[in-house]
Amino acid sequence: MDDHLIGIVSNIGVISFVALSAYLLLLTGEISFGQQAFFAIGAYTSGIVTAMWQLPFALGLGAGAATGAAAALLVGLPTLRLHGLQFAIATLAFAEAVRILFELFRYQIVRDGELVGPNGIEGFRNIRYIFENDVSATEFMLIIYGLLGATLFGLFLLERSRLGTAFRMIGEDDLLAATQGVAVVPVKLTAACLAGTIAGLGGGLYAHLTTYVEPAIFDVMLGVHSLAYGLIGGLGTAFGPLLGVVIDIGLLESTRWFAGYRMIVFGGLVAVLLIVRPRGLLDEQLVHRIRRAVRRRPRPSPANDTVLGKELS
Amino acid sequence: MEAMLEIADVVTAYGKIEALKGVSLSAAKGRITCLLGPNGAGKTTLMMSIAGALKPRQGSIRLEGSELVGLSPARIVGNGVALVPENRLVFPQMSVRENLLAGAYQRNDSGEVTADIERMYARFPRLKERREQLAGTLSGGEQQMLAVARALMSRPRLLLMDEPSLGLAPIVVKEIFGIIAELNREGVTIFLVEQNAHLALQVAHHFYLMEQGRVTFSGNPGELAEDEVIKRAYLGTRRSAG
Amino acid sequence: MIPFIQTTLDGLMVGSSYGLLALGFALIFGVMRRLNLSYGPSIMIGAYLGTLLYIKFGPPTYVVAIVAVAGSVMAGIYVERLCFAPLGVGAGVASMVSSFAIWMQLEQASLLMLPRHSYPFPSLTGGELWSLGPFVVRPDYLIMLAAMLAMSAALTLLLYRTRFGLGLRAIVENSLAASLSGIDVERTMLKAFALASAIGGVAGFLVLSANQQVTAMLGMWATLKGLIAMMIGGLGSIPGAIVGGLALGVIEAHSQNLFGPQVRDLAAYAVLFVLLVLRPGGILGTTAVRRGMGQRGGDRWTTT
Ligand SMILES: Nc1ncnc2c1ncn2[C@@H]1O[C@H](COP(=O)(O)OP(=O)(O)OP(=O)(O)O)[C@@H](O)[C@H]1O
Ligand SMILES: [Mg+2]
Repeated sequence: MDDHLIGIVSNIGVISFVALSAYLLLLTGEISFGQQAFFAIGAYTSGIVTAMWQLPFALGLGAGAATGAAAALLVGLPTLRLHGLQFAIATLAFAEAVRILFELFRYQIVRDGELVGPNGIEGFRNIRYIFENDVSATEFMLIIYGLLGATLFGLFLLERSRLGTAFRMIGEDDLLAATQGVAVVPVKLTAACLAGTIAGLGGGLYAHLTTYVEPAIFDVMLGVHSLAYGLIGGLGTAFGPLLGVVIDIGLLESTRWFAGYRMIVFGGLVAVLLIVRPRGLLDEQLVHRIRRAVRRRPRPSPANDTVLGKELS
Repeated sequence: MEAMLEIADVVTAYGKIEALKGVSLSAAKGRITCLLGPNGAGKTTLMMSIAGALKPRQGSIRLEGSELVGLSPARIVGNGVALVPENRLVFPQMSVRENLLAGAYQRNDSGEVTADIERMYARFPRLKERREQLAGTLSGGEQQMLAVARALMSRPRLLLMDEPSLGLAPIVVKEIFGIIAELNREGVTIFLVEQNAHLALQVAHHFYLMEQGRVTFSGNPGELAEDEVIKRAYLGTRRSAG
Repeated sequence: MIPFIQTTLDGLMVGSSYGLLALGFALIFGVMRRLNLSYGPSIMIGAYLGTLLYIKFGPPTYVVAIVAVAGSVMAGIYVERLCFAPLGVGAGVASMVSSFAIWMQLEQASLLMLPRHSYPFPSLTGGELWSLGPFVVRPDYLIMLAAMLAMSAALTLLLYRTRFGLGLRAIVENSLAASLSGIDVERTMLKAFALASAIGGVAGFLVLSANQQVTAMLGMWATLKGLIAMMIGGLGSIPGAIVGGLALGVIEAHSQNLFGPQVRDLAAYAVLFVLLVLRPGGILGTTAVRRGMGQRGGDRWTTT
């Protein structure tokens, strides 16, 4: 792989974290325009930990994920009873406020004769842990995909667990879920925290991949994009948002096929896709069919499949 | 007898599930035709298919010879068919008067519309008392009257009614059925879905039984003993036999 | 005291542009219960068409205005046909994401027309200032305020005094019952969408002529300001749009005056967040009342 390709693939990997974060909330039926805030918080936190405090990278990532989770809990509490557009706009307001706070945030120290740290609207430069510790681009890409794989695996386990079922039940109808004995408040907060953790972790990776973050990156556009990825790729499985990111960044950001008409072509394609498949390419039905096809060969168990089908639809 | 409505071999499905599996029946002009059947038989599905809110996959629905399948609900109202839907579906945030005006949406004779509203008030005095009240604050029986009046505002040739007695107290049900008979005497053709077989057989000239998406019996009141009708209408032969 | 009043006045003036934007937004959301993220970019298409005409041929300002409004109506109809009409019940999120995809499309189309970051836009008044005693007002903004009040009055009349309005309100309450009453739901929705885009187009034209320039940020700006004003005032209601727009303008003016432009935006978002948490229906929100009234009576006799 050449450097350019590694860069693109790594970028797809980190953006997938925000997309997964938005997807997780979509499972509980809520649209968030604000997952980029946790991504930003994770990016800044992990940058501060490694570039300023000179602590190990793993600690930086952990701190990014933890602050992402904490922030998500903080926003999750007051917005619990909001739904639909009100929830979406509340998250948007929060995320934009966070972005502006980062524009105002200055915290710099002198290191090796240079100022490092967040410098308001100028951003946070020289998050160079990866270079200083001789981690190659390929190795870092593998780290990204290792963590992404672990996150996906976690999400798959989650979707098969009782908690995952509770997420989908709340997504269908939270009042009904409550009457079925689902503890709606803790479950929703758990979902928000998990989504914040994933975004925060991705942010940490992002900061170290690019070595430079600025508040403008984390604007509404990133938030709406990460939501769109799930819808494009499909809401049936956690692979859906990934597919969405691959389609967007892989096909469009990296090719020069359509030059000045890129967004015209891409926007039109997405709109047409959503007419044909309003729940994305990998929607619940397709995923269900694939699972059945895969499972039928080794061990046919129709009874089990129907139960699963009900859960998913 | 001349048919107002002729339905032939209609199949309507929700996704893969066929709720109507080839329904054929007809409603004679100037008469009351009644459709009975257990829960889930497909009665509402048939009414929605006639009104154009559901698109049949197959078959034809003709109103005095002209095809209705494929027309939008608005065009079907324009052709002279009005449905009083199951659960009434009045516009809760609009006044009684506005609900009636909505029923006359396609009419361009505003003078006559005003006169018709007065006629509705004469027929349903309780609506007159509550003309400026929001429809959502009416009692269930009043809402049912309003739903009937709203449908009549389009001056239909054919009035479809889906379970007008649903959830109403017996006195109110009697009142509604009185109005149905009265409307029919004035010349409106009525096609009625009903769970209350006893009342339905009193007003109907002809009735059909429907089970699991198929018509299973067609006859005049008296051709089948009432308790047999009731048994089939509530339980269905297939289920009671099995 | 005088500076305080002056700042408030400035806020009300700018707020009237937000109110106008929110009016179109509220109309679409009120009818469809779906979010049209392409609202601002549709306005941008109209504005850019007008600007293109203006810098190429320098026509009279009213021609630019007509083109701007017509362009945004055309773009609005395109969005409705592509993102809203074909997507059935339960696809609200898909509609929203689809309108976002079209946002990208419309924005790029605009930039293909006029690639620079900013262009001049014809002014209605020459940008002069009027003094009223100790206060200064801009006639541009007075026009905007008047337009906002006139449009909301016209919209109210339309909704409550015409057959079209009756149909629209019926659709909002129950679109199935509306279609069974003979109302052509699809056509009525399309008309409402076109009307909302026209209101947006007027708002866009007035804002740009007050600024005497158009920038590539217009699409995003119009969507965000319209949306925030609508949420602050109250979802999908006409008075809500006005109150929300004016409130947003005043909040912004004072916070900018006190702390500068960054804090201005921060304050607006903070107020929005706190308001949504404490009063999700907005300042004039009626959602709670509505739910209660819809239920009473309807279920009283129902046995199930
Ligand atoms: N929206 C829908 N989606 C899927 N299936 C449906 C839908 N509506 C009705 N059905 C199914 O179609 C069948 C017929 O339903 P329908 O409402 O027409 O029955 P009905 O005879 O009116 O019953 P009831 O007497 O209870 O009103 C039922 O099996 C029902 O489950
Ligand atoms: Mg029924």
